[in-house]
Amino acid sequence: MHIPDGYLSPTTCAAFYAGSTPFWYVALQRVKRVLHTKLVPLISLFSAFCFLIMMFNLPLPGGTTGHAVGIGLATVVLGPWAAMLAVSVALIIQALFFGDGGITAIGANCFNMAIVGSLVAYVFYRAIAGRSPIISFRRVVAAGLAGYAAINVSALFAAIEFGVQPLLYKDASGAPLYCPYPLSVSIPAMMIGHLTIAGMAELIVSAGLVAFLQWSDPSLLKTTALKATAGNAVTLEGPSRPHKARSLQPIWIGLCVLMILTPLGILATGTAWGEWMASDFSNPAVREQIADSSLHQAAPAQAPQGLEQMSQVWTAPFSRYAPPYIRSAGFGYLLSAMFGAGLVMLACFLVARLMRGFVVERAREPAT
Amino acid sequence: MTGHHHRRGRGGFIEHTIDGLHAAMDRALYADRSASGRGALQQLDPRVKVAGLGALILASAMAARLWVVAVVLLAAMILAAFSYLSIWMIATRVWFATATFSAAFAVPALFLTPGNIIYTIPGLLWTITSQGLTSAGFLLLRSETAATLALVLVFTTPWMHILKALRLFRVPVVFVVILGMTCRYILLLLENAHEMFESRKSRTVGPTSSGEQRRIAIASTGALLSRTFQLSNEVYLAMQSRGFRGEVYILDDFRMRTLDWLAAIGFTGLTAGLVWMGR
Amino acid sequence: MLFEVDHLTYRYESNAALNDLTLAIPEASRVALLGANGSGKSTLLRVLDGLHFGVTGGVRFRGEDLSEEHFADDEWAFAFRRQVGLVFQNPDAQLFNPTVFDEVAFSPLQMRWSKADIKERVMETLDWLQIGHLKDRPPQRLSGGEKKRVALASVLVLDPAVLLLDEPTAGLDPRSQSQLIDLLVEWGGGQKSVIIATHDLDDLADIADRCYVLDAGRLAAEGPPNEILGDRELLQRTNLVHAHRHRHSSGEMHSHPHRHE
Repeated sequence: MHIPDGYLSPTTCAAFYAGSTPFWYVALQRVKRVLHTKLVPLISLFSAFCFLIMMFNLPLPGGTTGHAVGIGLATVVLGPWAAMLAVSVALIIQALFFGDGGITAIGANCFNMAIVGSLVAYVFYRAIAGRSPIISFRRVVAAGLAGYAAINVSALFAAIEFGVQPLLYKDASGAPLYCPYPLSVSIPAMMIGHLTIAGMAELIVSAGLVAFLQWSDPSLLKTTALKATAGNAVTLEGPSRPHKARSLQPIWIGLCVLMILTPLGILATGTAWGEWMASDFSNPAVREQIADSSLHQAAPAQAPQGLEQMSQVWTAPFSRYAPPYIRSAGFGYLLSAMFGAGLVMLACFLVARLMRGFVVERAREPAT
Repeated sequence: MTGHHHRRGRGGFIEHTIDGLHAAMDRALYADRSASGRGALQQLDPRVKVAGLGALILASAMAARLWVVAVVLLAAMILAAFSYLSIWMIATRVWFATATFSAAFAVPALFLTPGNIIYTIPGLLWTITSQGLTSAGFLLLRSETAATLALVLVFTTPWMHILKALRLFRVPVVFVVILGMTCRYILLLLENAHEMFESRKSRTVGPTSSGEQRRIAIASTGALLSRTFQLSNEVYLAMQSRGFRGEVYILDDFRMRTLDWLAAIGFTGLTAGLVWMGR
Repeated sequence: MLFEVDHLTYRYESNAALNDLTLAIPEASRVALLGANGSGKSTLLRVLDGLHFGVTGGVRFRGEDLSEEHFADDEWAFAFRRQVGLVFQNPDAQLFNPTVFDEVAFSPLQMRWSKADIKERVMETLDWLQIGHLKDRPPQRLSGGEKKRVALASVLVLDPAVLLLDEPTAGLDPRSQSQLIDLLVEWGGGQKSVIIATHDLDDLADIADRCYVLDAGRLAAEGPPNEILGDRELLQRTNLVHAHRHRHSSGEMHSHPHRHE
């Protein structure tokens, strides 16, 4: 589903631009390392092809027609990172140049379809295809199901993005400013259409084109089939992906899923034990809570002196995980999560660089 | 997706696809011609246009008052008129397509949004609330406005200038180059696909089953896929032959003149005012 | 010697596109590489341009090996690319930039020329090829002849010493063909070399003073044009002419080697 303008609030859109950027950046670095000078022509041409796929009206069983995105095929042929880039480029051009799809929503569309889509497709494809030979029916099935799963997961994300809008963004009279349908409407509405029509289209395109490639040029399917048993001898094209990169992927995926789930924290009521503020001690509701969770011992009437003094020392920029300029709690959480995770990763990266530099320096020192 | 609706009917898929391809090529051609016209916006520095029209899109997205969005749409139409973009052209390319899609999406909101009931449909007992009306209004107006502004940008600025102007937003050069090359080859593949489907259509006599149509669709797409890989290899060799070593460079030559500065100030003022009024 | 090819074998997908090929092209030549489709002439041009490297054997350009190690060095690679230019058969593969100006500017931009130099040289080249008015045109809005000129401009902008052309007249209408030949004749001469791969025998006398005939990746013959064109048996064996049954105006029906004029 290509989200148009006006359905997601600017804050939501900005959050997804911010969320997509690290993926685009990482994808670019990785793909550059593997493809070198082939990066530009391969991504550009494949992206053009994906754009065309999005325009094809595909006849489906049952008499309807649907449109595929091509994320299943892109992931199987190029691998998830290059697929992320290629599909993002196609979506950007579709929105900006051909006026199909929102401009403010580009970040969200790329996140849902290109980024989440390619990661889901990759996981499903690798899981289902296993070690089967490159020219095997199992891989065709795997590609089809990978595409199906990818489209439906991205539709689910879009549905959730739609569904939270009326909760968070209303004008003075209570009219929803953006998408007016809550989760109870948006999720079924989106999923029905995608589980049937769009998902089927994607399945057919992914499976059909992978089958075609198995017949016409199997070496093109090598990128995501590194562990395949040799059903046929096919020549290896290009360097294989570095081993370290592969083993980190589940961690990245897990991290992203966790970040996305952080707004669930809003659902937890009350304050964690011991994490009270100085002002909580004079708040009767919180005092009751403290007593309940402390074996019915009443809290002191005033905040302890030490607590009061130390709480003045530092004021956090994102206090209580709610950046002051973000009106909605949910996205405050999400942004805080991204920001926090980003800071931690940056710190680890810097430390790792420093340590590597240090190690290299030591290695260069002559033995005494 | 605007303009993508599901239609029943045999043989419909080829015609429908051809129509879509044709519309896309047509739009590209028109954009190209119109961008080299003598209108007001065509004269401005592309960076001013990208930032200015982008800011207006943002203003329309942020507005919490319906009339502010309407003002942005009006501004877009005035800019279009000064740039010799006909209103009829905009209506046919943007408004009708966006309206059909948005209407389908927005109409249920009239009935489903809780709030003050202002009208009850006799017989069906479905109630329309004022909040529902406002909400539907927002959806419709916002998508129309953004689509109009995007069209105004693309029809008054050569595509490559838009991309080079993105450097203003720190978009890496390699993305700009990829976006440019992709667009160039989209237009080539569109032509190839159009020819291929036209010839298929002329060779298809009588009704074909859905399964048969799917096979045709996949076979045609497969042929295009092979062509895509072949082209990408050739382009790769052609780039190397001309000295490409992996680092991409672009040549941009944008200079701000007085008119550009004035336009920039104008856009900034207008956007600031609209954001203030719409909060 | 301009190019020396020494027992070169190049494989592509288990086909030997070039099979133990040996030939030498002297400086300041105007050469035609003849051969039917699949004979390996396109592949040979690409090998001469340093785009493919053989499995066995080697190629030397002015005494230096065209090896992957050499090409890994930026300075050496740039020096080579400045001296040798290749015009591809498919103009759509060669015109990958959004406008004609960007296309012709691509090479000097890669070599980090200054902006002013690039602009000057690009306009000079466009004007010489009489396509200055097309500088802001996107490639999809060019005719076949215009595309070829732009492709040529994009290579000539660096003023190479050697021009390699792959089927330059293919797909062009007769007037464009003759204009192209005129251009090549005008450009060549002096110390410049032109190497054209073609299966079109008509323009040979104008362009080439030496022909090499390729057949199934091997060198079948070499010599001056009139000698090659006179050898009917060779031309038929290497599939450059055909001998299907046809009717002359006298009404007789028979078959003999011929070309369609």
